[in-house]
Amino acid sequence: MDGIALEILWSNLIGAVSEQARALQRIAFSPVVREAGDLACALLDRDGRMIAQAVTGTPGHINTLAAAGAHFVETFPPDGLAEGDVLVTNDPWLSAGHFFDITVLTPVFRKGRAIAFFGSTIHHTDIGGYGVGAGARDVHEEGLWIPRAKLYEAGEPNALLHDIIRHNVRTPDEVMGDLAAQVSSGRVGAQRLQILCDRHGLDDIDELADEIISRSERAARDSIRKLRGGTYPGESRFDIPGGAEIVLKCALTVDAEAGDILVDFAGSSEASPHGVNVVLNYTHAYSAFAIRSTLDPELPNNHGSLKPIRVTAPEGSIVNAKYPAPVAARHVVGMYVPMPILKALHAVAPDRVVAEGAGAVWTMQIQGSDERGEPFTSAMFNYSGGMGARRTKPGLGATCYPTGVAAVPVEVLEAAMPIAFTRKELLDGSGGAGRAPGGDGQVIGFRMRTRDPWLLNAVPSRLSAPAEGLEGGGDGRPGRFLINGKPSAEANKMTMAADDEVLLETPGGGGFGAAD
Amino acid sequence: MTGPSVQGSPRRYRIAVDIGGTFTDAVLRRGDGLVRSDKRLTTHGDLLEGFFAAVDGVLAKAGIAPADVDDTIVHATTVVTNAVVTRSGPPTALLVTAGFRDVLRIRDEHRYDMFDPQIEYAAPLVPRERTFGISERVHADGNVDRPVEPAEIDILARHLAAANVESVAICLLNAYVNGENERRVRDLLAERLPDAHISLSSEVAPQIREYPRAATTVLNAYTQPIVAPYLRRLSEVLAARGFSTAPLIMMSNGGVLGAGTAGRFPVRMVESGPAAGALAASHLARRLDLDRVLSFDMGGTTAKACLIEDRRPTVTGQFEVDRVYRFKAGSGFPVLVPAIDMIEIGAGGGSMAAVDSLGLLKVGPDSAGSEPGPACYGRGGAVPTVTDADLVLGLLDADHFLGGDMALDLGAAERAVDGLARRLGVSRVEAARGVFRVVGESMAAAARAHATDRGLDYRGLPVLAFGGAGPVHACFVAELLDGDTVIYPPLASVLSAFGALITPLRYDLARGTTGPVDWERAEAATKEMEAEARAAMTAAGCPPDGMRFSHGADMRYAGQQNEVTVAFDGNPVAARDRPALREAFETAYEAAYGLRLSDLAVEAVAWRVSAHGPGIAGETQPMTATAPGEAKGVRPVHARAEGETVPVYDRAALSAGQALAGPAIIEERETTIFVMAGWRAAVGEDGCIVARREG
Repeated sequence: MDGIALEILWSNLIGAVSEQARALQRIAFSPVVREAGDLACALLDRDGRMIAQAVTGTPGHINTLAAAGAHFVETFPPDGLAEGDVLVTNDPWLSAGHFFDITVLTPVFRKGRAIAFFGSTIHHTDIGGYGVGAGARDVHEEGLWIPRAKLYEAGEPNALLHDIIRHNVRTPDEVMGDLAAQVSSGRVGAQRLQILCDRHGLDDIDELADEIISRSERAARDSIRKLRGGTYPGESRFDIPGGAEIVLKCALTVDAEAGDILVDFAGSSEASPHGVNVVLNYTHAYSAFAIRSTLDPELPNNHGSLKPIRVTAPEGSIVNAKYPAPVAARHVVGMYVPMPILKALHAVAPDRVVAEGAGAVWTMQIQGSDERGEPFTSAMFNYSGGMGARRTKPGLGATCYPTGVAAVPVEVLEAAMPIAFTRKELLDGSGGAGRAPGGDGQVIGFRMRTRDPWLLNAVPSRLSAPAEGLEGGGDGRPGRFLINGKPSAEANKMTMAADDEVLLETPGGGGFGAAD
Repeated sequence: MTGPSVQGSPRRYRIAVDIGGTFTDAVLRRGDGLVRSDKRLTTHGDLLEGFFAAVDGVLAKAGIAPADVDDTIVHATTVVTNAVVTRSGPPTALLVTAGFRDVLRIRDEHRYDMFDPQIEYAAPLVPRERTFGISERVHADGNVDRPVEPAEIDILARHLAAANVESVAICLLNAYVNGENERRVRDLLAERLPDAHISLSSEVAPQIREYPRAATTVLNAYTQPIVAPYLRRLSEVLAARGFSTAPLIMMSNGGVLGAGTAGRFPVRMVESGPAAGALAASHLARRLDLDRVLSFDMGGTTAKACLIEDRRPTVTGQFEVDRVYRFKAGSGFPVLVPAIDMIEIGAGGGSMAAVDSLGLLKVGPDSAGSEPGPACYGRGGAVPTVTDADLVLGLLDADHFLGGDMALDLGAAERAVDGLARRLGVSRVEAARGVFRVVGESMAAAARAHATDRGLDYRGLPVLAFGGAGPVHACFVAELLDGDTVIYPPLASVLSAFGALITPLRYDLARGTTGPVDWERAEAATKEMEAEARAAMTAAGCPPDGMRFSHGADMRYAGQQNEVTVAFDGNPVAARDRPALREAFETAYEAAYGLRLSDLAVEAVAWRVSAHGPGIAGETQPMTATAPGEAKGVRPVHARAEGETVPVYDRAALSAGQALAGPAIIEERETTIFVMAGWRAAVGEDGCIVARREG
């Protein structure tokens, strides 16, 4: 296939999956999907290999969706599927690392043969169990576990499964609505693919998939081959809710001949008793993201470009958690996974890496009652600290790397629940000093307009271990989590008095290069 | 299409002037449909110089004097966008609720390109040191928790004076529900700083979400000290030159307004030229009896497309300006005012073609611009562009570009394309055809995405082509959209100015609200908006009996975070008709998302009012030849197949009713129409050419 024909077909595939994502984002209820764009859509070939993704979402969703494909195909081989089947799971170890994320796969048929799947993963508003946060003692306390199953069978809804889901979540309308949105957006993608096949006279996309995957793999290997071979260490420290310090160690081996990279997390912390543990799928997702966004951000993300990146971690470590470890707040550790990798990559790509940053976004959820006594449960909302500096550009303030999710506006939150914010400003000087300074963290203050006690479920991190600077750049300032002016280090939901005031100071990013 | 539908006295003259980034166009229309146009280079030093050069040009062509222009002069201009892009505004300050000083810098915390760690954002128009917090607070329910302290404003006014601030934006939390504190700050400041311009978020864009509202208010404040005097000077010079009529200004929502209102809200003029183009497209859709049209304006650096639905351009409540990082969405500022809903992608005649690390042919978004421009311009450009490919394919004629005023260097184009061909391992013509196909595919993909976002089916959309490169590529883009109709309007090279000429008065307003529907507050907001609109329309010369109001709302199911803009048939707020309100929302929601969620409550987050003036006659006298034109020659064209022999016509030599089978090339001074094989073009009475796919 020449570079013209392939470009046209490939860009059309990306167009189809982008339209699936647009349709999903428009229809979804979950505020983190609509307002923050926390979703992933992908086109997989009939073997479950990802060949195109939508340009949206978070690394944790996109790259785990790529991994989920193979697991689905193993249980449901494409030749055993019927038109109108739709597959589903939220198995943390097979997909996105916690129950909240439900993955839906829609097969596309041509002449009676399954030729591809449109997949989506979104963060749902509720999944029963403990709810948002790291407080469950094992994975079973975290809610409903949906094994790989058929959500629709030959066009008919799986009534029992629908019923089970509806009865096990606190917001059944939203969850069922969002599941329906996933199904209908899959249909949009399938329809676009059919039109593409009609126009180009294709019966399947097998050859196209092979071509995309082999070219992407070759380009990814070529960019690794330009690096100096060897094994490079990286180590990052940060603290999680409850105060425990986590160490992530990696040995990053560049095989400049084969053009591949192996990341080994041996020496990293053991799994935590809190629900911040990360399954290997998710560790791989953030590792591959860190490498890909550093080396060649322009190269499309797919099975081929991800293939040269391998990740291992000791079983039972915090980055390869085993059943039944709790995992609901796995992003807290997962979003730090890139940090040691960036430090290791600094040895071979010093111009392209980003200094350590704030790491995970701080997530919040509030339950209580308003001034009239009406109860409410807020949706999850999140705030970023500062991003690490780039070699020639400062780090972005109050903006997260590796993820890039938006924050819900103050006015939207104040309209949705009885909350009143007192501050939301950058924290001057919280970014590390440097030739290029780190991004500043921010200070956010709020109290509730209520007469009753309320529940706060806050997940701050990096309250003691700072984001380190690179090449002599200064460290960022760690964050602070204050209740009525006093530091708090609670890992679980907290009961707050009516007039308590909460102050969040998110961490600053590390600087790059010594300041003049 | 002359005849009974022509309105007005045959001797009434109306002029429109559109100042774009490169050209300033003027169109003059006499009441009986006689049209004259003129095109000049835009004079960036003083935009009015080019304005009057073009006006003098059309007056001379029509043989009339300024005093003969007894109807209106309409103006579309890029002055606001220029002021933003070049950062030429005066020192401007932003006042916010104390504790929220970084609203412009924190934005919404979103990293718009996840994979690229090197991204950048447009620098805010107001720096941090000119952003000040005020101790005040309004809650989301509209209650004032803390009123404004005059003593604090006293001190602030002294700071602002010391910083030589000429313009002030005020954006306080929850002012979209209650602007009382903002107005209080304004009144106190106005006493102390009588010369300062002051923009309130509760007047400029009273809608929820503090960051986009602040960015919009700041843009208004920043450009007001430039735009208000510009419009004043325009009125003065027009009067001094003997024009008897006050100018009307083209706004981004696809309506015109008086210069006074425009000067207060320059943020509403941001996209005025492209909006005028979309208005021309909807006018043509009505003339041709088409409900839906995709207008396709492809110029030198970008292509713009707009959906005409129900014979009207779709309007959006939010868009973005000043995208600083590779044209990427998210790298500019959000603007929360009604605007014609357009997509713009980096695919124009100057877009550069390259082979990427995967061996794929990519076109755009980087552009060679006009300096050095495409390789064939002979100004030192060596990178192959879309125009170079079009020349190699025989779609353009090296000797007839811009009517022969600018000779193209075919050899340079061939050398540039050869480099591409070598990297792709294909022939020169195959590489050029690849560029032609890839750029068409990106436009079609953008149009599909635009339609999907709005829940519309793109298939079969008629395409209306204009801009220098639009008519060259439109037929192919239409095929990719499963379309069978392409329209090549007359006056294509001055279509935006023509659009401004025929645009009626219009003013759109929105007022934010929260919580369950409160009829009393809704009615008060509606009345307030109607009064404001009536004043603006009257100031623009709208007769009271020619004024019409329409109503709408931004609504959602309770619990959702994003809203749907709903246009009401009547006014359910005045009628306090809850079922009608719900039905209007659910109909719109179903159209957009394909489902209803009937067990959920419905809420409004904003009420909308639009005021419309009387329609404007837009028929034009035919500019066609009296006898069918013969082909002036043939040339080989390789765009679809190797070496098709294609007859070449002069558009001006074609007569009404004449039909041409594709493949055919029809040349005009500023563009070239390529009718592909399998299509058949027919010339209408008014000179409009419509190509239809056969079979």
